[in-house]
Amino acid sequence: MKKILFLLLSLLSLLVCLISPFLYFFGRIEEKDHKLIFLLASAGWFVFATLWSSIRKKNHRLK
Amino acid sequence: MNGSLSRLTSRMDHLYEFDREPVSPEKFQTGARFAGLFAGEHVAATEFVIGAFFVLHGVSLHDLAVGLLVGNFLAVLSWTLICAPIATRTRLTLYWYLRRIAGPGLNFVYNIANALLYCILAGAMIAVSATALGLVFGISIPSLDDVFPRSFGWIALTLAIGAVFTILAVLGFEKLSRFAQVCSPWIFILFIAGAVALLPRLGVHANFDNFMEIARTKIWNGVAAQGQEKFHFGHILFFAWFCNLAMHMGLSDMALFRYARSWIYGLYSSFGMYLGHFLAWICSGIMVAAVGREMHPGLMAFEAAGLAGAAGVFIAGWTTANPTLYRAGLALQVITPNWPRWKVTLFAGLTTTFLSCFPVFFMKLLDYVAIYGLVLMPIGAIVFAEHWIFPLLKINQYLAEKNKWLFNWKAASVWAGTLALCFFMPIHLFFRWLPGYVFALVVYVLLNIFKRK
Repeated sequence: MKKILFLLLSLLSLLVCLISPFLYFFGRIEEKDHKLIFLLASAGWFVFATLWSSIRKKNHRLK
Repeated sequence: MNGSLSRLTSRMDHLYEFDREPVSPEKFQTGARFAGLFAGEHVAATEFVIGAFFVLHGVSLHDLAVGLLVGNFLAVLSWTLICAPIATRTRLTLYWYLRRIAGPGLNFVYNIANALLYCILAGAMIAVSATALGLVFGISIPSLDDVFPRSFGWIALTLAIGAVFTILAVLGFEKLSRFAQVCSPWIFILFIAGAVALLPRLGVHANFDNFMEIARTKIWNGVAAQGQEKFHFGHILFFAWFCNLAMHMGLSDMALFRYARSWIYGLYSSFGMYLGHFLAWICSGIMVAAVGREMHPGLMAFEAAGLAGAAGVFIAGWTTANPTLYRAGLALQVITPNWPRWKVTLFAGLTTTFLSCFPVFFMKLLDYVAIYGLVLMPIGAIVFAEHWIFPLLKINQYLAEKNKWLFNWKAASVWAGTLALCFFMPIHLFFRWLPGYVFALVVYVLLNIFKRK
């Protein structure tokens, strides 16, 4: 369950990283907001993807 | 001399012992894994530099797009038709297959050459990371023509980064590899995000109606930067093709494809080529144009995505340098008797760190990539001839193994002769490998034609 949650959260973070520059390009957000969103979403990706990867690795070891 | 070389080669065999046996069917990997591997490996720190250099070399939009499409297609075909079939038939790494063909002595020389080339490549990656960290400390990066470092700040920065990368590689290569796997999708997103975020600065409208015009006039406008050679369609096509020459035609990627179910898996290399060597190169081209055509990967990413962007360039340099350091260390371990793994990695890291101070390896990355492939390419031709052409012409295969030769002198002569020929060829560096490959193939067959069964 946790594994799926972390996977979803990491993918969501990556999606936000991708959407943020497009929002800036289309003039929906300011440049500084885009950079802040990108930074936070990147941090989210690293946290959740690392957690997902470590659970995945632990499961592999148990098998 | 022969005795000490024999001892060295037996030590080398011991190091690679774990993959001596052909891969068994239960260890075969899925296509998705190959797609992921290629996509991860070919979206790296080098992409920040290569795509940007195409802009600085005055490539036109048409030449870039068609050259990359065709060149990458040829690279995919090289993996699929040259590398993967030999790997799936033998299920061996190039190391063990070359040993049968060229003898352990020549295999040793090949490994050392490979290690040195790896060190230089890792050094260039440290320099890429230094451009990102240099922003924090206000250290200016070298100019395009610099061979030697011009400022104490640059030397101190590259030495410091190199030292940190080396220590981390010594402390735990495997953990860093896992970290690199986490990084690679994000680095790919960084390329796209960076390019999109910098489009307004180039004057691209929100409805994209003038994108092609901006691309033609402000990005790939056909005007080379001062002191840079103008590139045309042929340069781009050949660069995209030979960028991983050592891996496909040079057969290094036999190590990967021995795990493939069939040679068709070579087509999965297209994930690396068209995501990394097409999309990422285009993105870095857009970024360099938006920062005033300054070859500064750190600045490009910082302007595009702020702190996270600069951190991305730093991390990309690190995650590319780390496996390169590991491979260099593994290859060098044969000449360092009884040294533990950490000591060899430290030695490779120190060499790499020293090389990273010299901006020439970073600023002439395109030429270096060409030379890297060129140096190792003849070995691929020799193996190809021995594997496919010898049986067709009924020439005895694997004489080095059968006769227990330390050196296959014919293979050594072909390797040296091909490199000498390529050195004197009166054509552009990018185009030399192809006639060189044909030369190596033909001459190696001719030298062995009298050894028919």
